Amino acid sequence: MERFISASPLKLLERSSRKGLGPGNLGVLIARAGVGKTACLIHIAFDRIFHGEKLVHVSLDETPEKVTSYYNVILYDLVKALDMEDEYEVRGRIDRNRLILAYLNQSFSLERLENNLGNLEKNMGFKPDTLIVDGMDCKEASRDLFGQFKQFAESLETEIWFSALSHRHITETNERGIPYPCHQVDDLFSIILQLQPETTGMHLRLLKDHDHPSISDVSLKLDPGTFLVMEKG
Amino acid sequence: MKNIQELRNIGISAHIDSGKTTLTERILYYTQRIHAIHEVRGKDGVGAKMDSMELEKERGITISSAATYCRWKGHQINIIDTPGHVDFTIEVERALRVLDGAVLVLCAVGGVQSQSITVDRQMNRYRVPRIAFINKCDRSGADPLRVIRQIREKLNENPVLMQIPIGLEGNLSGVVDLVSMKAIFFEGERGDSLVVKEIPDELKEEAEARREELLDAASLFSDALTEAILEDRLEEDLIHEAVRKGTLSRELTPVFLGSAYKNLGVQPLLDGVTRYLPSPTEVDNVALDLDKGEKEIPLTVDPGAPLVALAFKLEVTPYGQLSYLRVYQGSIGKGDDVIITRNRKKIKVGRLVRMHADEMEDIDRAGAGEIVALFGVDCYSGDTFTDGRLNYTMSTMFVPDPVISMTVVPSDNKAQGNMSKALNRFTREDPTFRAHVDQESGETIISGMGELHLDVYVERMKREFNAQVVTGIPQVAYRESITAKAAFDYTHKKQTGGAGQYGRVAGCMEPSRDGSYAFVNEVKGGSIPTEFIPSVDKGFRSCLDKGQMLGFPVVGMQITVNDGKAHSVDSSERAFAQAAVGAFRQAYSKARPVILEPIMKVSIECPSEFQGNVMASLNQRRGLIMSSAEDGVFSAIDAEVPLAEMFGYATVLRSLTQGKGEFTMEFSRYAKVPESIAEDLKREFREKGKGGK
Repeated sequence: MERFISASPLKLLERSSRKGLGPGNLGVLIARAGVGKTACLIHIAFDRIFHGEKLVHVSLDETPEKVTSYYNVILYDLVKALDMEDEYEVRGRIDRNRLILAYLNQSFSLERLENNLGNLEKNMGFKPDTLIVDGMDCKEASRDLFGQFKQFAESLETEIWFSALSHRHITETNERGIPYPCHQVDDLFSIILQLQPETTGMHLRLLKDHDHPSISDVSLKLDPGTFLVMEKG
Repeated sequence: MKNIQELRNIGISAHIDSGKTTLTERILYYTQRIHAIHEVRGKDGVGAKMDSMELEKERGITISSAATYCRWKGHQINIIDTPGHVDFTIEVERALRVLDGAVLVLCAVGGVQSQSITVDRQMNRYRVPRIAFINKCDRSGADPLRVIRQIREKLNENPVLMQIPIGLEGNLSGVVDLVSMKAIFFEGERGDSLVVKEIPDELKEEAEARREELLDAASLFSDALTEAILEDRLEEDLIHEAVRKGTLSRELTPVFLGSAYKNLGVQPLLDGVTRYLPSPTEVDNVALDLDKGEKEIPLTVDPGAPLVALAFKLEVTPYGQLSYLRVYQGSIGKGDDVIITRNRKKIKVGRLVRMHADEMEDIDRAGAGEIVALFGVDCYSGDTFTDGRLNYTMSTMFVPDPVISMTVVPSDNKAQGNMSKALNRFTREDPTFRAHVDQESGETIISGMGELHLDVYVERMKREFNAQVVTGIPQVAYRESITAKAAFDYTHKKQTGGAGQYGRVAGCMEPSRDGSYAFVNEVKGGSIPTEFIPSVDKGFRSCLDKGQMLGFPVVGMQITVNDGKAHSVDSSERAFAQAAVGAFRQAYSKARPVILEPIMKVSIECPSEFQGNVMASLNQRRGLIMSSAEDGVFSAIDAEVPLAEMFGYATVLRSLTQGKGEFTMEFSRYAKVPESIAEDLKREFREKGKGGK
């Protein structure tokens, strides 16, 4: 697990002002379709779990079976790439500390999520330190909704990571350099990352670092197959 | 069979209470195999035709996959009615093994439920093309479009509506066929006469839109259809051919609608079976050639080729054993000599029959693709038959190990004899059901895949074999394993006059990575003579049946022997086997043994309002919740729960969810028992030991 932590994409945040996202905050990963948003979010999930945290993966467009199989495939690749010997223990740790909540056919509402998380805490004693929310249509989601998520993160003392789908043909960017679709809600996010395939490899860039005003080009080059850190970008 | 292209071997499978048996009964009625309709829980005391076992009739469930055949518009259809309980999954698996296609029955209200997902997964494993029938469209709350969405999302299939309903719930009166663009009504007391009319005005727009969807989906499989659409010269046959191609490639699932109970929509479904599901010639089957190291050999659907057939189900009848057979290659006829591959036993085919549930029709010969039954042949379920020219076996089916067992004690001598007969029969019929006599207690122990599984066999013992038995409390199949490496160095020395016994073995035991037993010989310089090494292995193996901790079988151990000593006169195979037993005992307790228990994958569905209660109930049972999916007003919870905690859960779940929740479970893996539970087990073991003395 130590091997993974030292090569995790979240290493990028070690160079952020607070060394991470932190409880009560929202983070978002922006990437185009097919680049690997879910895979990268799952890496974030592994990083948090291997740091001893509990995590809930909220999927708004995939069944739990599919999400589980994503985790399994990515873990399988990691075990091979890092030559991890404690695979059984790692799997057990993931199963014990991760829970998948799926909302199919527009079943999602924040109220329902709150209710489900309440059930988990009350009946299972499972209180997540991190929430991963995958599949939310950030273009359609209202500012209000993210505002409510922010309050929710604060009251639950949890950090929440989202994925956001960008498009090649929409080049809109705000004055702070935050691209579509987060350019109008960037104030609600503490960390904004962008995953971009480039000719030299897959690059993960830090676009927003809490309230830190100036960000020099903080980025990591990731292995496009495993999403593990190859070198500083 | 004159034209094998017109043969269909299909299964009808789905979640319990989706109405499979009712649907099958209607199919048999419309194909004129039966002349009256009886309901599953009928008041007429006859019961549906496919539920031939008395117990099934009483409980209103289908346990055995009875086979039957019928004819529809020049096609012969063999139907295997499959059970819907996960406890009987081996029945479903066996049925799927011999099928060429399937009808997946879904309830228009309940939708895609947990068992449908399990069955669908099994169908994928056997690459069975299917069509779907959304049944019970007459029920309150019926929503076929929701079911379509679920087929897409939960089963990951590509469903396409072939019909739309005319009315829904209580107003259901017929269907609109999206290929012919006609309305079909089912008139007459039993819906026997189909009346084709123009589409009602209020449905025309929807029918056009749905037909567009159908054409879009189907055209992906046929360039001819795409061209015809572009050139506006559509023909029905082109659409059927494209849908058939999509279905055979398992990239399209045509969906039919209706209500079998209300006699609505069954005949068009039969048309769908014959139009879209494959004939035996369109399915690839392989056998394993035992003479060539189990090399896979494709079989040809040629009646002239050497015979290869598989016995996929046995049934006891008052006149002897009936063995259901699927002929894959060649043909089998009355009076033929055939060989059972398993034991190379030669048998003569006496009676060859075609089954119609519990009635039979004698035939002289059956060719490749056909499903028939042999009468009075002594074989096991899963046996391969050949004519002796080939030494083939059909690929072995995956058979899970039993996870639950209980004692059965006959009430008197007569029951004892009958019980033996019953157990002999059941173990031949069902590889997941086992029976053995415990050597210490002398009790008969039966094992299987779940509480219901064993319950049904106990009931069958009483009803079919008149064996009155008393059953014990179900016991979980625990295992023992070690968690640390421990060394051994043991000398077995015995001098009691005459030839002595001498053998020394040294090495270590440690957990094996893959959970199985492994023996590694690292002896150098002949300190243990080569001829005694197998005896050392045998000695260690003999200790695995009963662990020293609580007497459960030991799994996941690697033994490495690296040193030893022999005596030129006193060493023998027996002495080294005994030395291994001593070495095992010496090291076992040092290797930190633990008890393992079976962990089940449990899937629960319930209205979302009960999610919290259900989670609490799983938590109380040491369950680990893996996921929860919200869909509309329902929650589906997946968890891993120790089997020991699941006894009686059906009743608990019913009361927690006002009867609206249901669950399925299947074996997942073995895991270490928590310390506190292990202590309880040890205490029980000690008390049992004392009581026994």
